[in-house]
Amino acid sequence: MNIYVAGVATTKFGELWDVSPRMLAREAVTGALSDAGLSVGDVDALFVGNMLSGLLGRQEHLGAFFAEELGMKTPAFKVEGACASGGLALHNAINSILAGQYATVLVLGVEKMTDHKPEDVATALMGAGSDEERAAGATFPGLYALLARVHMEEYGTTEEEMASVAVKNHEHAHLNPNAQFQNLLTVEHVMRSSKITDPLKLLDCSPISDGASAIIVTGDKRPFGQTQGRQETGKNAIRIVASAVATDTLGLAQRKSLTELRATREAADRAYAQAGLGPDDIDVSEVHDCFTIAEIFALEDLGFFRKGSAAAQITRGSVSLGQSKRLVVNPSGGLKGCGHPVGATGVKQVVELTEQLRGTAGKRQVPRARVALAHNVGGSGATAVVHILKR
Amino acid sequence: MVGIVSYGTYIPNYRIRVADIARAWKKDPTEVTRSLGVEEKAAPAVDEDAVTIALEAALRCLQVSKGKPSDIDALFVGSESHPYAVNPTSTIVGELLGVGNDYLAVDLEFACKAATAGMQAIAGLLESRAISYGLTIGADTAQSKPHDVLEYTSAAAGAAYLMGRDALVARLVAYTSFSSDTPDFWRRDGIRYPSHAGRFTGEPAYFAHTAGAARRLFEKAGCQPDDIDYCVFHMPNGKFPREIARRLGFSGEKLAPSLTVTSLGNPYSASMLVGLAAVLDIAKPNARIFAVSYGSGAGSDAFLFETTAALPKVQNAQRKTKNSVQQQMEKKTYIDYVQYLKQTHKI
Amino acid sequence: MSSPVKIWRNQKEVARLVGATGVIVSWTIVRVPPADYGDQAPYPVVLLSLGNGKRLTAQLVDWEPRHLKHGQRVVTVIRRVTQPNTDDVIPYGLKVKPLS
Repeated sequence: MNIYVAGVATTKFGELWDVSPRMLAREAVTGALSDAGLSVGDVDALFVGNMLSGLLGRQEHLGAFFAEELGMKTPAFKVEGACASGGLALHNAINSILAGQYATVLVLGVEKMTDHKPEDVATALMGAGSDEERAAGATFPGLYALLARVHMEEYGTTEEEMASVAVKNHEHAHLNPNAQFQNLLTVEHVMRSSKITDPLKLLDCSPISDGASAIIVTGDKRPFGQTQGRQETGKNAIRIVASAVATDTLGLAQRKSLTELRATREAADRAYAQAGLGPDDIDVSEVHDCFTIAEIFALEDLGFFRKGSAAAQITRGSVSLGQSKRLVVNPSGGLKGCGHPVGATGVKQVVELTEQLRGTAGKRQVPRARVALAHNVGGSGATAVVHILKR
Repeated sequence: MVGIVSYGTYIPNYRIRVADIARAWKKDPTEVTRSLGVEEKAAPAVDEDAVTIALEAALRCLQVSKGKPSDIDALFVGSESHPYAVNPTSTIVGELLGVGNDYLAVDLEFACKAATAGMQAIAGLLESRAISYGLTIGADTAQSKPHDVLEYTSAAAGAAYLMGRDALVARLVAYTSFSSDTPDFWRRDGIRYPSHAGRFTGEPAYFAHTAGAARRLFEKAGCQPDDIDYCVFHMPNGKFPREIARRLGFSGEKLAPSLTVTSLGNPYSASMLVGLAAVLDIAKPNARIFAVSYGSGAGSDAFLFETTAALPKVQNAQRKTKNSVQQQMEKKTYIDYVQYLKQTHKI
Repeated sequence: MSSPVKIWRNQKEVARLVGATGVIVSWTIVRVPPADYGDQAPYPVVLLSLGNGKRLTAQLVDWEPRHLKHGQRVVTVIRRVTQPNTDDVIPYGLKVKPLS
């Protein structure tokens, strides 16, 4: 496929009390347009990725909402797939370009979560699970805790190994001015944090966050961004070479396997096939670490490590900035370190990877990054979206 | 001839010791336990109520008989703690049991004798051949005001009796009922906890009605304590049933197997019925059982049963499923007073 | 789930699965509950296998720590799902309890 990333931008992620969803969107979109050297009139359609606007903010119809806010009179869509909303919005945007419907499309991932009580946010997030799981009183971390227990019993993964995912991602976030957290953690910090849902503790869990990210994708090879001088056609354009989605059962009880997220594996297989690449070709990856265990599942299901071996590898530093010889995972800090405004995450991941491939990631730059993979998951693995980007 | 085809009981998992409640209120634990004649009582889990307890008892009742839910023509549930003031417990239980739609569903209220009143009504429906099988359930998660004397004994349990005309484990030989307007214990609509008239709940209430019904049944059935093998009475505490048994001329041995109150407390509509089940669990065929309930407000329902040769098979089934009264009494987890307050929704 | 109609439809489904036995395949203890479950927390949520290839996610009741293990036998029971608000229809649903 010939899809180019024309412009990217992200807001800071965090508890942004005085920032509204409109302000978040304006900041991200203004940034992306500026990065692309484009104006709003150059955009043919808007895809918005968001999960909770209705449940928490009582506002649906986000396509129209943000189109108006941004001064756009184009077709506009809200795309929802729980925490994969952002990735799905991008996938749909790409499809619309491939279908020849639109040439240049704006993808906005945005989420405002901190206006509401944590219990209400927890309840709303369980909209990502099944009715049976909600009735059981399961929380979103609870579902991943159930997966963690199986992984621990099957492969001997330990709580300390899970903790090292959080430690690594905070190390990376420490270098990311947009990340929600800049503090460094130790395994002991994580182990001593309060239990949320055994075996997951507070510091095993990504936070409740606000934030927005925006990408402009285009099928158009014409040069743009002359003012920035950064976006050119030819060998320095960042291309999206794969965009794949897979689904699995909504609830954990109905899955075929509890030791892998099959949707991740299927989306990855399809993406690798689309790109004509394999896991070994990936230099840098942003994966969906909504909980520390989720990164472990991800690195195995994406084919980076053998099933059951990712935990030890992460602990060893195999995917850490500055230590890895081969692949760096979650240089932005991931969901744990950078924050997880649900609908924004899938878009932010591609923003980060674009910066990495351009060589503009500053202190978190992965040296010689040429091929990148973004992995975005909805619910406990019911939806998975994989994008592959190349310089 | 009508009678009991099958029976089942449900006692929740949790117990609190009377001594621990007494200590919470800085009372002498030994004195309180001794004066009430109750050691501990069953407490419901935080998510149990009269519906869930009634259902468990009914499932167990059907499990030990060859009865199918669809055989049930009438389903009566008696309780003081129906979850709704308006909306029948009996249809929720009937639906979850899988009874179908062709049945009479009735909710009853009459303090602790709501379910036994149901048994008499079902006996009438059976005798008139209006129905073939009727299920009566007594189930309660009895409430009491913290620090009130009732707090030591108000308990939770359920008992279900399937009645019919054949394959009986116990024939209903005779029955009668004794009623009057006696305000010894009451709960106004919309008010959370019951109130009572103290010592007035004794002689003019419990004793007058229990004895009244018992004596009328002796006459009606032409029987007396020497002809009877077991007696069961409503058990608001450990003292009252012993006293009424003595007054009516029953020996302690005839009463003893039914005295579940010592370790169960008073589960209101299920009290006499669980005691009756405890007797049925151990009685031999052709044993005569004299059972009298009491409900405040007030009234007593009296029954004379005679067990049959079909009883041992059901007794074995109870034991195999570990659901005999004794087995359930022994399977328990103790909670402290704070946990008790949480589980009964007071905090 | 406070729509009486949803509760009604759901209870018809639930009736079929009462008294089913299974074994625990995974477990967790929810210590930070969602809204409406505060009075029950902390409570275990378990994934159980019903044997016919079917699995179920449910809250474990009447439990002790020793029951939280792979292979623990359990049976389905009906309990109140949550304590409803004073005006709402009461939701009854499936939970599981350990078989010793």
